[in-house]
Amino acid sequence: MTGEKPDYLGFGLGLRPQHYSDILEGSPNVDWFEAISENYMIPGGKPLKMLDQIRDRYPIVLHGVSLSIASTAPFDKDYLANLKSLAERTEPEFVSDHLCWTGVHGVNLHDLLPVPYTEEALEHVVSRVNHVQEYIGRPIALENVSSYVQFEQSQMPEWEFISEMTKRTGCWLVFDVNNVFVSAFNHGFDAQSYIDAIPADRVVQFHLAGHEDQMTHIIDTHDAMVCDEVWDLYRASVRRFGKVSTIIERDDNIPPLKEMVQELTIARDIANEIFSEENLAKGSQRARV
Amino acid sequence: MIDVSLNEPGATRSVPRSSKSEVQSAPSLTLAELQDLFQRAVMDGDGAILQSIPGNGRTTSDVLLGVYQYAYRGRLADILGIDHPLLKRHMGNDVFDEMAHAYITAYPSNTPNVRWFARHLPTFLKTTAPYDAHADLSELAELEQALANAFDAADEPVLSLVDLQAVPPDQWAALIFQRHASAARMTSRCNIYECWQALQDEEEPATINEPVVNQELIVWRKDEMSRVRIMTTEEAMAWDEVMRGATFGSLCEMLAVYDAPDTAPMRAAQFLQTWISAELLTTASNKARSS
Ligand SMILES: [Fe+2]
Repeated sequence: MTGEKPDYLGFGLGLRPQHYSDILEGSPNVDWFEAISENYMIPGGKPLKMLDQIRDRYPIVLHGVSLSIASTAPFDKDYLANLKSLAERTEPEFVSDHLCWTGVHGVNLHDLLPVPYTEEALEHVVSRVNHVQEYIGRPIALENVSSYVQFEQSQMPEWEFISEMTKRTGCWLVFDVNNVFVSAFNHGFDAQSYIDAIPADRVVQFHLAGHEDQMTHIIDTHDAMVCDEVWDLYRASVRRFGKVSTIIERDDNIPPLKEMVQELTIARDIANEIFSEENLAKGSQRARV
Repeated sequence: MIDVSLNEPGATRSVPRSSKSEVQSAPSLTLAELQDLFQRAVMDGDGAILQSIPGNGRTTSDVLLGVYQYAYRGRLADILGIDHPLLKRHMGNDVFDEMAHAYITAYPSNTPNVRWFARHLPTFLKTTAPYDAHADLSELAELEQALANAFDAADEPVLSLVDLQAVPPDQWAALIFQRHASAARMTSRCNIYECWQALQDEEEPATINEPVVNQELIVWRKDEMSRVRIMTTEEAMAWDEVMRGATFGSLCEMLAVYDAPDTAPMRAAQFLQTWISAELLTTASNKARSS
């Protein structure tokens, strides 16, 4: 499926219930919000009202965790139907999830599990992405996850798998800079090669987050501020991918909104510096269209 | 085959699997087979998947796999604690965590939305030793779930007194009522309401006792907030009958049998007024016309 590339949205935050009232009462300096789809796949009540009110003021992206695109289990039809109706209700800029699987045999482990990068898995994922895109009637975006293991069976590096996936399905990419950093450390690959190999025109969003260094491996915890090495990699990503909508994610130890907005300023400053350095080059052209 | 201890997912092991070259050729497995083995490793500690996972040069494959094993149980136990903060306070962190792990084993998640992962907890506590010996545990879980369910129940219009005033007096006897989607009844065999209240105020939980009569509760949502209150035995009976489809007329008859016949219609009207101002009802309709 092909579709028009989503607009550049600027600098946003993951939408967290702790921040609802500060968002609605304070008009914080945040350009857009990314809402976790499943948090709003509920019958009614306050969460959906909050989402509607925030949607009235800010662009929203719906970001899911349970699509399980790489699972060999059949799709959960109710889940897809709920996602579709949430998308119709919310009219997000786009809908995204992760390149991973969450379980088989009717079980959900509620984790973003790693994919063996094989030809078989690629074909499987491609057919599932096509199915979802047709069903919900719009291209989806998929995010690279942090992983802690690799499979001996893998036949290609992650970046090749992702590049092929987007080429064959027309899906967009959420490029999680922290996840690239974490996986590069855990599996000993070069993060810059990863960045260089991803097709630049497919990336519609950056994720930034904090992690936990265990010395022998890094765990993606989303419970801390973005570290210097990830900011460096963000710089490299902005240089390569240009003007890409950016958010900071925090899922644990969630600080007050104004601290998140402050951290977001770092991303703004880094990106704006590069944009002006490069005289907006390609990115601004795209933004004017 | 390398065995993995589920209790020590992060433990370093002596088996050297430091680089890909040291590993014997990996079994040729389909995606489905790999996912089956990986899931069994995460859920049950089965080590068969380790043959397909290299170490990363700094640590062994079982330590790396342990990240998923540890995260799986840790995440779900956290979710249970977030959904049941008062039960956790009541049980204490250690006992709660032990219970959470038993629940995770007994009821692996089969919902794509963690919002509903805890839904079998009241049943688990009611039917599993040693928790089944304490009615307060399953009832506290049931009450916390009823409040959570009320919070995000479907949005529906609420019945107002003005709506009811539009009904001609001669049609009142035939009226039937529908509950709001957020309204749920609960019957406790102990003083769960006081226990819940004390835990909310971060006090020591009230002494659990078994009152002579059951404690009748109603849980619902008003102004976007979940609420709970105790109903008298008579009000609970009236509510239950109305929810079973009893007309206003037959409610009055029932209340006349239950207690002073003279004041029965007045008591019925009072209950109705209470329910309507609380936003517990969504529609009133004429039984003859609607059936
Ligand atoms: Fe992310």
